Amino acid sequence: METRKVRPPKVFLRFFRWYCHPKLRDSIEGDLMELYYERVAGSGKRKADLKFFTDIVLLCRPGIIGIENEKNLTNHYAMFRNHLKIGWRNLLRQRMYSLVKIGGFALGIAACLLIMLFIREELRYDTHYKESDRIFRVVVAYNFNGESGKEVWFQAPFARALKEDYQDIEKAGRYNSSELFGAGSAQIRRADHLDNTYEEGFVYADQELLEILQTPMVYGSLAHCLDAPKTIVITKRKADKYFPHENPVGKLMVVNDNDKEPFRIGGVIENLPATSHIQFDFFMTMTGVEFWKGEQTDWDATNYPTYVQLRKGADKFQLEKKMAGIVRKYLLPVWIKNGVPSAEELAKSGWFILQPVKDIYLRSEGIADPVSHGDIRFIWLFGAIAGFILIIACINFINLSTAKSANRAKEVGLRKTVGSYRTNIIAQFLTESLLFSVISFGLGLLLAELLLPYFNTLAAKSLSIPWREWWFIPLLGVSSVATGILAGIYPSFYLSSFKPIQVLKGNLSRGSKNSATRSSLVVFQFTTSIVLIIATAVIYKQLDYILNTKVGFDKDQVLVIRGTNTLGGHVKTFKEELLQLSSVKSATVSDYLPIKGTKRNGNGFWNEGKDNVDHSLSVQIWRVDHDYIGTMGMKIIEGRNFSLDKPSDSSAIIINRTMARRLGLTDPIGKRVQNNQVFNVIGVVEDFNFESLRNDVGPLCFVLGNSPGIVSVKLNAQSLTTALPAIESIWRKIAPHQPIRYSFLDESFARMYDDVKRMGRIFTSFAVLAIIVACLGLFALSSFMVEQRGKEISIRLVLGASLQNIFSILTLNFLKLIFVSLILAGPIAWYMMNQWLLDFKYRTQITWNLFAITGLLSVAIALLTISYQSIKAALAKPVKNLRSE
Amino acid sequence: MKKYQLGEFEEVVMLTVGVLYDNAYGVSIKKEIEERLSRSVSVGALQTALRRLEDKGYLKSRDGEATEERAGRPKKYFQITALGKRAMEYIKSTREELWNAIPKVALNVKFTSL
Repeated sequence: METRKVRPPKVFLRFFRWYCHPKLRDSIEGDLMELYYERVAGSGKRKADLKFFTDIVLLCRPGIIGIENEKNLTNHYAMFRNHLKIGWRNLLRQRMYSLVKIGGFALGIAACLLIMLFIREELRYDTHYKESDRIFRVVVAYNFNGESGKEVWFQAPFARALKEDYQDIEKAGRYNSSELFGAGSAQIRRADHLDNTYEEGFVYADQELLEILQTPMVYGSLAHCLDAPKTIVITKRKADKYFPHENPVGKLMVVNDNDKEPFRIGGVIENLPATSHIQFDFFMTMTGVEFWKGEQTDWDATNYPTYVQLRKGADKFQLEKKMAGIVRKYLLPVWIKNGVPSAEELAKSGWFILQPVKDIYLRSEGIADPVSHGDIRFIWLFGAIAGFILIIACINFINLSTAKSANRAKEVGLRKTVGSYRTNIIAQFLTESLLFSVISFGLGLLLAELLLPYFNTLAAKSLSIPWREWWFIPLLGVSSVATGILAGIYPSFYLSSFKPIQVLKGNLSRGSKNSATRSSLVVFQFTTSIVLIIATAVIYKQLDYILNTKVGFDKDQVLVIRGTNTLGGHVKTFKEELLQLSSVKSATVSDYLPIKGTKRNGNGFWNEGKDNVDHSLSVQIWRVDHDYIGTMGMKIIEGRNFSLDKPSDSSAIIINRTMARRLGLTDPIGKRVQNNQVFNVIGVVEDFNFESLRNDVGPLCFVLGNSPGIVSVKLNAQSLTTALPAIESIWRKIAPHQPIRYSFLDESFARMYDDVKRMGRIFTSFAVLAIIVACLGLFALSSFMVEQRGKEISIRLVLGASLQNIFSILTLNFLKLIFVSLILAGPIAWYMMNQWLLDFKYRTQITWNLFAITGLLSVAIALLTISYQSIKAALAKPVKNLRSE
Repeated sequence: MKKYQLGEFEEVVMLTVGVLYDNAYGVSIKKEIEERLSRSVSVGALQTALRRLEDKGYLKSRDGEATEERAGRPKKYFQITALGKRAMEYIKSTREELWNAIPKVALNVKFTSL
């Protein structure tokens, strides 16, 4: 037959075969082929093909479809229920082991969850802006004569120049948070009230800055809230505090008792989210503000962090390149006019970077700015810790499951005999581990919710569990399944590998078999825990070092009274009255203190007459009074202090050792230095740490001057309690409407290292958690060992073994593992913590005794854990174990 | 009617299987119906009806020979079962009862109105 050669298109046939019920497939296909050949003979191949296809499509109906799928043939539900039931019974029968498994898991999951919340919060910083990919912070980077750096402060006219010169920049706004000009903190009150309240979070800002940040408004309009002179924008929480239940727009507020020039409220914005790197409460307008004459057009002083919003579709990289034009156009002429040496090279040595707003919080390494940062390294570190704790918990599960396998061996053997495949057994044990994992997740969630307040104080955050987020519950579900599989995969493969004949004959060496795997897992657990313990110890040692190291000034018993500038001309009186008190040793008036949050500046200094030859040295110039050095307990190593008897001291200067060295002055006394004024060097003060101990001491000098914001008082050690009320009453006499605000210098100093302290506490918690989970596992393992070797121990006892013999037999194996962990953990921890310490210029040594103490501690903990079971076994009556057979 | 469920098309198929007697398989049934009742029958409709009748127990099938024009696939021959026969008889008798119950006048009216 010639029709033999003709065939219907294979695709159609394959499709038919795919959907057709296997039992009908052959006969119907036969029918189709018969019809097809007839049609080919009758009306040609094309029509036959078409009809063939329509037939196949029309065949596609319920009675005929039966996609081949073996799973459809057996019902797994019953088996699944059986697995769950057996799993549940096992859980109940071995309460102690189940408790360890579930408890460890739950602890690990709680820790993981908390850390994940923390990480999520850190990663969410500055993602709330509507068009955050168009918002950038301008950063300038320079590399000149080996000095390099990045910073964010710009000149006052910089923002406007950017906007005028570059089309791509839609908006440019600045703020100024320098205490030097009255930002930071202030006394504030409603214009119709008398009593001042101390507030922080003041800042000078442009209208356009708010527009760039797209701050949501509660009252007023975003377009015009800060554009008029003497306006102020406050956050909702401050509005609620001063103007409860009313719209405060247009109302007046008085800052620092300056009631001649009150601020008019131009708008109220929503509280800035906790995940905003900009955290202010009072935005004072920059419109009409000039901090000194010509300041707003001055291309010399850099005080303004500047933000820009690019137009849609603008190319950031192109723009960064083009922005170099700013330097040539505006800065270079000023430099040349001021006689800055090698100005041309200087102009070429800097470049601009547009930093995406999202990167500011976490990825600002090497950029000097006034913002508090997270550290992307800590995020990784914490993530790793969370992972490790979870792994430790999983290991408990694995170890106990395989150790207790002997009890399940017969069950596996029987199941196999009556026809289970290996896959069925694997499925069974995976179901069981899923059961454990789901229960643990429930408990862990509960635990996390309970521990959250504690964790929040620990990490200085306000986290909450995002129950309402749509992805949260599904995510939990997925992770509980994933964890269950992770923990269950090894035990299930191990258990399902038993050979029915062997286990039913009772030949299985009971659980001791793969003890190598189990041992290495225990080693892993303890290595992790010990690393955490060592890390914690090093952090605390460093903290201790910082707080007790010689910083070059005496921070004890110094009371720091802030906000004294509001006393106006009475500051002098205040100081004098303080000195009358017997409890006061000395007092000094100066805004500059060697702790964070007080005034700082930077001024170019030269040796006299070298201002057009050398490059300037950036120096802190602190305005102090005659009593400053004495009150602060600083040491003059050469020359003398300022003296009241010498009026010429108004042009005298005391420099620190670093400044003398950097200016190349070997014999500095009597030399003259200059910035915009020439000073006589009358003394050299020993270096003291005025910035964080993370950095070296920079050049610094003291001159006599008026900076009335802070009065520091050195008290007698004995009379602390009497001194405070006396000082307060003096304050009330002078400033009845103002609350007094004071702190102790050493406390403020310690607060500078809060982050270190916080990290120490976080590490302590996690180290404790890790060791608890690991010990839980060890405890269960040791009790299992005792159970297994019960008869052996009894026979040994009968034959005359002492309690010590039994104890050492049972503990030695475990102690070996702990020692191995110690040897492994030492170098890891040492390397890690050395890296961390590199952050600090002043750092403690990691000494061997640290490892010794940690080692002893962990051995002690482990021994304690094991010994309960060991001693119990050694004290048990041999009869009990031997009688039954 | 509850006793024997049989749709119109199913009844036609049953009857055709009866007519073809020993040669009732997919293609032959299809052709027979198409010829006698001059209506087109799709393979799909026929096969589902056959399956349903088989499930109800009115038809039974056996695998037949594989021929060359069927590309080596076996034919599936159908045969009426005893139950099937009873169902057909039942339907026939109920129809007849209905026919007989129609008053003569009712049928005659048509003619008079013509």
